[in-house]
Amino acid sequence: MSGRVERDGHVGWLEHTLAGITSSIERAVFTEEHARSRGWLQAVDPRAKLGMFLVVILAASLSSSIVVEVGLYAIILGAAAASRVPFDFFVKRVWLGIPLFAGIVVIPAIFFVPGPRLFDLPLGPIQLAPSIPGLIGAVLFIARVGVSVSLAVLLVLTTPWADLLKSLQTIRVPQLFVLILAMAYRYIFLFLHLANGMFEARKSRLVARTSGSEQRRYISGTIGNLVNRSIKMSNDVYAAMAARGFTGSIRSFQADRMGMADWLSLVGAVAVAVVAVIASRSLA
Amino acid sequence: MHIPDGYLSPIISVGMGMVTVPTWAMATRRVQRVLTSRTIPLLAIFAAMAFTIMMFNVPVPGGTTAHGVGGTLIAIVLGPWAAVIAISVALIIQALFFGDGGVLAIFVNCLNMGIILPFVGYGMYRLLAGRSAILSTRRVWAAGIGAYVGITVAAFCVGVELGIQPILFTQNGHALYSPYGLAQAIPAMLAAHAFGASIVEALITAFGVAYLQQRHPEYLTSLRRVVAGADVPEGERPRRPLWQLGGAIVAVSAVLMVIAGFITGGGNIGHAFGADWSRVDWPSVATMLLLVAVLALILIPVAWILLPKRIRGVGTGFAAAAILAPLGLIAPGLAYGEGSTQNVQAAFGYVPKGLHDLSGIFSAPFAGYNIPLPFFRDANAALWQTAIGYELAGIIGILILGLAIYVITWLIRRAGGRAADPSSAQQPERWGQP
Repeated sequence: MSGRVERDGHVGWLEHTLAGITSSIERAVFTEEHARSRGWLQAVDPRAKLGMFLVVILAASLSSSIVVEVGLYAIILGAAAASRVPFDFFVKRVWLGIPLFAGIVVIPAIFFVPGPRLFDLPLGPIQLAPSIPGLIGAVLFIARVGVSVSLAVLLVLTTPWADLLKSLQTIRVPQLFVLILAMAYRYIFLFLHLANGMFEARKSRLVARTSGSEQRRYISGTIGNLVNRSIKMSNDVYAAMAARGFTGSIRSFQADRMGMADWLSLVGAVAVAVVAVIASRSLA
Repeated sequence: MHIPDGYLSPIISVGMGMVTVPTWAMATRRVQRVLTSRTIPLLAIFAAMAFTIMMFNVPVPGGTTAHGVGGTLIAIVLGPWAAVIAISVALIIQALFFGDGGVLAIFVNCLNMGIILPFVGYGMYRLLAGRSAILSTRRVWAAGIGAYVGITVAAFCVGVELGIQPILFTQNGHALYSPYGLAQAIPAMLAAHAFGASIVEALITAFGVAYLQQRHPEYLTSLRRVVAGADVPEGERPRRPLWQLGGAIVAVSAVLMVIAGFITGGGNIGHAFGADWSRVDWPSVATMLLLVAVLALILIPVAWILLPKRIRGVGTGFAAAAILAPLGLIAPGLAYGEGSTQNVQAAFGYVPKGLHDLSGIFSAPFAGYNIPLPFFRDANAALWQTAIGYELAGIIGILILGLAIYVITWLIRRAGGRAADPSSAQQPERWGQP
């Protein structure tokens, strides 16, 4: 029985969920590992780094020239190499994922946008006629999404989560928010493990095909159970916090001041962004 | 629904912060006013739970899976302001750490899923639940419908945000950001959600509330007091049965339809929805309705009996849709489904090249979705004759589609079966023995 169930893909939802949970845990462990290695970006102060990445992402979003996007991507690749991020992992993770999806989204637009046609290829009753403005728009769109995603991935790969949170405080994010972010991140992994355990237990007990409504009922029960566990756990956590003297005011350790190298990197990133925006204006 | 960077102009994505940031500030103050130290771990852990819920793949009727957000469920348990913080935190972690959704797009994503979704969902829930008892079934229905409406409205907002990009930002004729206009983006987002993710969200919310009612009813009242400081009305036994609630929904939507028809008809109810209703031949409509009713009475049970159990629900739904489809023929003017390229041109200004080319393929067997026989298509044919032609064309179309899908799945399964390890095929027999 079990063999058939697997081949029919009828426990696909279970496998999907399990695989998603496992991969996100693995990814988190893996990224934290790179954030601890010794490279150029890892050494930059997280506050400066946050500023650098925000400014360059903004420039990538504002630019409307493919040349500028390609140039920005070259700079990103250089920064990744200087930070000892494994090259093929970085490139693959970005270009196999989200931009491919964006590419599928944008394909119909190539044919629907009015304008001169690149070529007109009659294939039986269908005519394959991509329009030039549509193509330019699509390439620019994919390039921009790719650059933006690369930047976000690089920031995460080179910055430990705790440092990223600390730098959020410097851009005036309320401390309550930062504290909740930090705690939520900590408990996400606990919850992922909990959910993993629940789904794996379910899978090991499953020998027959189950109906769709039964599966949905099971997942809803799991979510209700998670709500219950969350409340219980927050009680425990609060008791532990209170026992350690938490009174509601939040104090956090502030990192030391930014050095010369940090300021230089930040100024460099701003310069790159300004040049990118000006160049895209003059090229367009 | 997570919008990545690059889909929106930074003017929009960062500009949305003007709405999102004050709402966050208000939510923080609202929650903080009550009991800071106790709410922090509660919110943090609910944010972690929201993150986990977004990882759950739920099977949707029809064979695919989708995931929900759980926003309305959290709003019901903790109140909408606390839900804003919990979901926003989960979304920020997703964007910053897992690359789901853009960094610049955080404001927009939090506005859609973290603010609009829980508030609309919770508002709808409160509206439908009324003063009913905390443990009543009506609350379960209200939660499910509220969640459905909440996430669908959020999806609509995403459609609007994407759809205004080509209107506002173009250069030399090509779109700078997401290339689809409102006419494409909104229906695409709505269709993708209304038949997938919204159903999932409604189910997990309704079943989640039902689970809490059964196992932990205290959470439906006590937690709200902790986070919002508000008194939760315990409610009373429902005085109205469920069918009255359903009737009210139908009545309200009928009234809304009439108002919408009135507005689109330019104030003349005879021209509701921009069509001239005086041109309709009502006696022949009655004949057609009778015919459709008879056909539905016969064919829908037949479909239910004949279809294999796995696709019974979905298949019967499709059959019913095909049988009831000719009802659209009543509307004069732009008969739907018959939308030719001329109609599209009139509606959208230009004919997409691809659509123009594709329309050539389908015109061959059943042009205008009708049987090419004078009995069904003649200019003098009565409405019921056209309707039957429509119906047959629809049913034949569905049969061909179903057959094609069946053949393709059969081929894939055969290919997969050959590739699979032969020992696994023998295992089931051994398992059967005690």
